[in-house]
Amino acid sequence: MLSDDQVNEIIINVENVPPGVQNHRSSNLSVPAKSGVNSSFGMVSSVSGIDVKDPHVYSRRNDRKAKQLLRFSPLNESFSQTHHSPDLVDMDTPCTSHESIQGRQKLIASLIPMASRDRIKAIRNQPRTMEEKRKLRRMVDREKSKQSRRIFELNCCTQCLNSISLAYRRCKNILSELLNSISLWQKTLKIIGGKFGTSVLSYFNFLRWLLKFNIFSFIVTFSFITIPQFTVGGNNALQFTGLEFFTGAGYFTDTVMYYGFYTNSTIRHQSGGASYDMQLAYIFTVAACLVICFFSLLFSMARYFRNNFINPHIYSRGIAKLIFCWDFTITHEKAVKLKQKNLSTEIRENLSEILQENIKLTLSQQLTHLSVHLVAWVVSTGVAIACCVAVYYLAENNLEFLKSHQNPGAVLLLPFVVSCINLAVPRFYSMFGLVEHFEVPRQEVYVLLIRNIFLKISIIGILCYYWLHNVALAGEECWETLIGQEIYRLLLMDFVFSLADSFLGEFLRRIIGMQFITSLGLQEFDIARNVLELIYAQTLVWIGTFFCPLLPFIQMITLFIMFYVKNISLMMNFQPPSKAWRASQMMTFFIFLLFFPSFTGVLCTLAITIWRLKPSADCGPFRGLPFFIHSIYSWIDTLSKSPSYLWVVWIYRNLIGSVHFFFILTLIVLIITYLYWQITEGRKIMIRLLHEQIINEGKDKMFLIEKLTKLQDTERRANPSSLTLERTDVEEPAPLHSREHEAAHDLRFRRSVQENSPKA
Amino acid sequence: MGNKQTVFTHEQLEEYQDCTFFTRKEIMRLFYRYQDLAPQLVPLDYTSCPDVKVPYELIGTMPELKDNPFRLRIAQVFSEDGDGHMTLNNFLDMFSVMSEMAPRDLKAYYAFKIYDFNNDDYICMWDLEQTVTKLTRGELSAEEVSLVCEKVLDEADGDHDGRLSLEDFQNMILRAPDFLSTFHIRI
Repeated sequence: MLSDDQVNEIIINVENVPPGVQNHRSSNLSVPAKSGVNSSFGMVSSVSGIDVKDPHVYSRRNDRKAKQLLRFSPLNESFSQTHHSPDLVDMDTPCTSHESIQGRQKLIASLIPMASRDRIKAIRNQPRTMEEKRKLRRMVDREKSKQSRRIFELNCCTQCLNSISLAYRRCKNILSELLNSISLWQKTLKIIGGKFGTSVLSYFNFLRWLLKFNIFSFIVTFSFITIPQFTVGGNNALQFTGLEFFTGAGYFTDTVMYYGFYTNSTIRHQSGGASYDMQLAYIFTVAACLVICFFSLLFSMARYFRNNFINPHIYSRGIAKLIFCWDFTITHEKAVKLKQKNLSTEIRENLSEILQENIKLTLSQQLTHLSVHLVAWVVSTGVAIACCVAVYYLAENNLEFLKSHQNPGAVLLLPFVVSCINLAVPRFYSMFGLVEHFEVPRQEVYVLLIRNIFLKISIIGILCYYWLHNVALAGEECWETLIGQEIYRLLLMDFVFSLADSFLGEFLRRIIGMQFITSLGLQEFDIARNVLELIYAQTLVWIGTFFCPLLPFIQMITLFIMFYVKNISLMMNFQPPSKAWRASQMMTFFIFLLFFPSFTGVLCTLAITIWRLKPSADCGPFRGLPFFIHSIYSWIDTLSKSPSYLWVVWIYRNLIGSVHFFFILTLIVLIITYLYWQITEGRKIMIRLLHEQIINEGKDKMFLIEKLTKLQDTERRANPSSLTLERTDVEEPAPLHSREHEAAHDLRFRRSVQENSPKA
Repeated sequence: MGNKQTVFTHEQLEEYQDCTFFTRKEIMRLFYRYQDLAPQLVPLDYTSCPDVKVPYELIGTMPELKDNPFRLRIAQVFSEDGDGHMTLNNFLDMFSVMSEMAPRDLKAYYAFKIYDFNNDDYICMWDLEQTVTKLTRGELSAEEVSLVCEKVLDEADGDHDGRLSLEDFQNMILRAPDFLSTFHIRI
């Protein structure tokens, strides 16, 4: 399956960049050096059977398909010798132009057999000027049409395929243009990125991404569940008071908003016309939403992982990243100045950290640090558990409390308490940072995140347990609607608290920071806390979609408003972040959090609901059934009676319903995972070996150059007259390496002279 | 398709679309941005491929570039003759490479050229000092700057020849996953 030649395709870079690549038509002297360079510098020779015939640079391809195609053509094109060279007719020396023409022809030859999509990708990824790329494209097209004219009669099939792929590409272009034109908030995001940088931008991108999820869920549930329900309709005998927006109860109880309103009948408008089974529609729609969310989360997570965790074991807290990863998206003058100042501060800190790295802590210091960590963890876990217990106790006693207080607004007490906990406890956790000491500052962020996520997930967990265990089995009429109302209230209270925090809390903090305690200054946007709030809300929405199908719509409106509120608050009350924040690794972590505790928890909850709980007897699409899942069972039974759908029944009974199938599937997946893991280990070893080889090559080069200079010195002393030819111009201003460059140029020039003389 | 634009021929637009990471609409939008920089200089009809260069002084006034510490280097790297004056092809090339759809290798290649101030295909000590000075705007003292440059060379120089080659740079970028999102100019 995965053999040695797959190994060939990875990170093998051979140095060949000739000096003086810039289009300086005047520097003729450096030109003869170009051809010699490639033959003199060492190449990574046959490691695992790689046969390097020509001194072209191999580089990692992003596209897997193109990789497979390129593997069989020995000359992988990109970064070949001819990048940014002027028009070939202008080259003076015959040997260089010959090689560049050859290189280009080989490039064209390797491009022609590719599929058009891969060809376009390969052309786009070339590091050449636009003129050269266009010329290349024209030449490839001409060659291709010449070839296709020859085989025209034989392959009308391929012609068909070509025109189909062309049409498909055009469609894709039109679609992407359409999507770009309706893309939300492009300008606003540009302004935010310009003033605050990439890290704060990642929060707003995450918000926009969640909004897309909710829009999709809303469209699906609205079209398949709510609209059919509108056509059937029911009566609403309750009165409308304004309090419904907060409590979700009252008038809203008997609307399409909640599960209880939906009919369990099969909707039929004309006798003998199409029928629409509401039960099946309900369960399949919710399942479809969740499945699509699952796959898109999975693919996003995989994509982020692939881009950002190539070498997770190399933790570079080094300075090189600070220097080379300047944020080009920042465009405001003040923001740029501030960023420069912050960068200087960070560089200074980094320098002092590196200088202090060798200071080892004494045993007693280590023990104190460890015990402080331990105490902090115990306290934070204890606080989280205490909050959960309090919430459970409150929820249990909520019913008697409600009976004793007649005010309909009293149902808001539980959501109010939960939101207060979500507001206060994370800030309490942040205070631990004053006491705890971390060697690596990034650990602090991760520890804080883990504590917060533990708190939020355990609160949701305890509430789910309460709902599924107590509410569902308490014998209430229409318990699903009750749960839906609870979730709606939680969501709304959370939204109200966020608004209050943005309008009041941050505003007050700014007043305090600017007027009273001016040393504090403006605050920085706490990305982690805000993202966790988004994840919390989204978890609630996912759980609640089953009980309250309009919840994605409410969350859509909420997110929309939150975007503008946060944006305004950001512009007024915050300053750009002072430390580089590693946005992409954080985003990977956040999407992982969204997937792993959040989404899988939702799946577990809904699975328990559907398989273990008894629907209420009087309301909703599943009334009267012993379990929710029985709707599927009865559907399969009805299908098995009609002969044309027996394949569905077969799939259900033998694939979905059978244990053996899942056992075999799991076994296969585990085997594949194990194999991939072993391959990754092997590649890590190879990376290390190649790295060592590069270092050895460098040492060899140094050694040879020294030897050569010694030889030259002795020759010079012996023959002072014949050596004036052997100096070439040195162009680099760096004085440290001029001698080495001279020697290197000498080496190249002598080699090229030696090469040319046998030819002459 | 029903496009009513008269700036480019159909083939030209297709070529641009295939050679950059932009769609048709974005290419037209970029053309109008380019034209706005120098309305008297840039003709509205490119079907005859006119040879027009917008001088660097005007390019440097674009809001996306005007406060960037590296704007001169960016313009020099992408321009025809290395002097910062850009034709439309250079302009499209520049924003295509700096867009979010360009792959990491391509961006790393051009980032390397931008940081290579003396164009010798290596980032040597002098190049690093220039980079750090531009980044910190005189906040660091000269010893701090040289200390920083030494540390960078220590960390990133794989073959220990005292300067960074393209491979060293690419290797280092592999360990900096933020690079893709920071080496990005939104237009």
